[in-house]
Amino acid sequence: MGNNSSLMLRDEEIDVITNETEFNRNQIVRLYSRFLSLDKKGQGFLEREDLMNVPELAVNPLGDRIVDAFFTLSGDELESEKRLNFRQFVRVLAFFQPIDRTKKNSLNGRKDKLKFAFIMYDLNKNGCITREEFKVILNSMVGANITTDQLDKIADRTIEEADVDHDGRISFQEFCKAMEKTDIEEKMSIRFLN
Amino acid sequence: VPSPLAEHAILLASTFLFPPVAMVVIVVILLATLGKSLGLREIYVNILIRIFEWGASQIKTTAKLKRKESHVPLDMHIESDEDEEEEEVDEEESERKSARSDGYESSGGFSRRRRNSGASVSSRTSSVCSLRRRHGSGNNIIRRDTQLNLDDDEDDLSREILPVNSRGWAVIGDSVDFIKNGIEAIIEDEVTSRFEAEQLMTWNMLTRTSTRFFQFVNWKLTALYMAGFIFRYACLLPMRLTLFVIGLVFMLVSTAVVGIFPDGALKKTLNHKAMLTCHRILSRSISAVIYFHDEQYRSSSHGIAVANHTSPMDVMVLSTDNVYALIGQSHGGLLGLMQRALSRASSHIWFDRSEAKDRSAVSKLLKEHVSDPDKLPILIFPEGTCINNTSVMMFKKGSFEVGATIYPIAMKYDSRFGDPFWNSSEQSWGEYILRMMTSWAIICHVWYLPPMTRGEQEEAVDFANRVKKVIAARGGLVDLEWDGMLKRCKVPPKLVAKQQEKYANRLSRYTSTCEPFPRVHGSTPNDEAEDEGIAASPPISGYNSLEELPEDVIVSDEEDVVVETRPLPHPRVRSRPVSHVVEAIN
Repeated sequence: MGNNSSLMLRDEEIDVITNETEFNRNQIVRLYSRFLSLDKKGQGFLEREDLMNVPELAVNPLGDRIVDAFFTLSGDELESEKRLNFRQFVRVLAFFQPIDRTKKNSLNGRKDKLKFAFIMYDLNKNGCITREEFKVILNSMVGANITTDQLDKIADRTIEEADVDHDGRISFQEFCKAMEKTDIEEKMSIRFLN
Repeated sequence: VPSPLAEHAILLASTFLFPPVAMVVIVVILLATLGKSLGLREIYVNILIRIFEWGASQIKTTAKLKRKESHVPLDMHIESDEDEEEEEVDEEESERKSARSDGYESSGGFSRRRRNSGASVSSRTSSVCSLRRRHGSGNNIIRRDTQLNLDDDEDDLSREILPVNSRGWAVIGDSVDFIKNGIEAIIEDEVTSRFEAEQLMTWNMLTRTSTRFFQFVNWKLTALYMAGFIFRYACLLPMRLTLFVIGLVFMLVSTAVVGIFPDGALKKTLNHKAMLTCHRILSRSISAVIYFHDEQYRSSSHGIAVANHTSPMDVMVLSTDNVYALIGQSHGGLLGLMQRALSRASSHIWFDRSEAKDRSAVSKLLKEHVSDPDKLPILIFPEGTCINNTSVMMFKKGSFEVGATIYPIAMKYDSRFGDPFWNSSEQSWGEYILRMMTSWAIICHVWYLPPMTRGEQEEAVDFANRVKKVIAARGGLVDLEWDGMLKRCKVPPKLVAKQQEKYANRLSRYTSTCEPFPRVHGSTPNDEAEDEGIAASPPISGYNSLEELPEDVIVSDEEDVVVETRPLPHPRVRSRPVSHVVEAIN
């Protein structure tokens, strides 16, 4: 694959993407090559299945949720969630660039990184994480190795700690506040090579 | 029915073309039978290398010019990349000049094509190290921080020790680790890249590899490319096809003749000679240039030879130096014909589809064959599928259970002159053959390794991994745990469950509300688990039960070297006992 594609990336497109994100030309070309190799059917866009074909992602307990969040972030309407073109692909990856405080890039600030994690938890996309949703995530991570009781306990405690206004759910602000202690910049940054 | 004029033209053409072609073909066959070569190959390969380098420099200079016209700031990033490439080319050159080639050579019989005079420094086109450098380094997009491993040895995800103030949010912190791992896997993972053709550093004048490089550079390069194209399709292809047909016919005829003789030493010798000649002719039909190393370890008596698998040509490549018994599924058509022909001259194992599923039946056949000292060593490719020759994937344990001596063989192709990797989901058999015959050459290094036997207490899986490691090290390939069959099928849920269990163990270290986690599976692995090569996992944490975890262990921030100190924890949380177990307990 990647050897007989007629979907060459045009210079103008590269320029647009460079302006939108902080990737340089080289990185974009390599990401494009990666995009092509993921797009096995040569459709010009990625679907959920294409991403789940990566074995290391399929083995990841949160693989499903990550792919879901990927698609949600790329577009806000429901239809455009199903397909990912290259530009959207790179936009989402731009969230994971290390934060460079000197640059004015709006895509990879702390809030944006937190947004990815938040979307992953918020299954029904109503802007809040409920106890049930948290339980689902926790269950994905530990599988059958934990009893329902233990699961409930951990979920309860988690929600209680962050739930400032005691409405039984976590909003994005509460989420951000609770994550203040975690080093989100480091955890959600990927070192792109030049 | 062609018109009289056309017919006349065809007759004339064949009269004039036939003698030279016939002559060349006869020369080649003679050489093959005698096992010698004219040394044309070295010159050919050298010339090609020079042409490729010239092409690469053309691409670079034009690219530089292009960029000077456009953005200036991008120059900085890209020039450093170019310098890397130039360095690599220089290193190759110096290595080439100092190395010398040895070993068996087979030349493709075709007329010379001189571009520059002299310069016939014989070269070994690649040593193990330079191959690795050439194809591995420049293509990474990210530097990975996390990796999900399939085995139990190390702790996964990040090794950072976070000052965890509350147990609940530890989970969310960990989930972020999983996210990072997932995104990194999307960008770059170990497995997907192994099922497509290797990326080249410089262009080798074939359209099939040109997408990575700029489409149109300048007229000189295009002219060179067109000349190469014509040469390959008009000169090389017909010659190679002829040789291929002759080789096949020779195989059918010689095996039929050998089949007449009764079983015994004579038949074995005849078979040996016939097979070698036959494969040498066939290997010239794709202009295979094969270097054999460490021939003292070549298997002569019965046993099992294992090698990493890259292409259908592997069998042919290895058979030019030694005779093997083959094992495989019986097909119909042309392939079936060949299989029957081979079986006449010596004993091979062919089983049909239904038997293929029955692991024990195959194993029995293997055992029978191997225990017979008169039979030839069996050639097996334990990966089960073609991998793109940058890595070695999981070896299936079937052949390692039998108990015979294993003769490992490492094979590394130099894909600059033609990539033999067959991506069966993308190319059909016919396309693949065409591609092989219109490449410049197929260059392969074969290393014979010292024979290995299974240890007294060693599990078949461990033995398989041991052999795999040795092969990967010798061939300069990456040793991976992943199963090659992932090319076609999804990841089995067992692997996901394993990751979940690992995480649960990790979680148990600092969540004291949880009871001790039950062991999910005992020490009797079923077939499927063995397929994945996963052994049963021992408990990871040092504690037998979680009640033993000290509730009130408080770790101060100063001990956490990795992470910078965080601001004071939320006052509401501080009143609770903090249980945070440092990794050092293990």
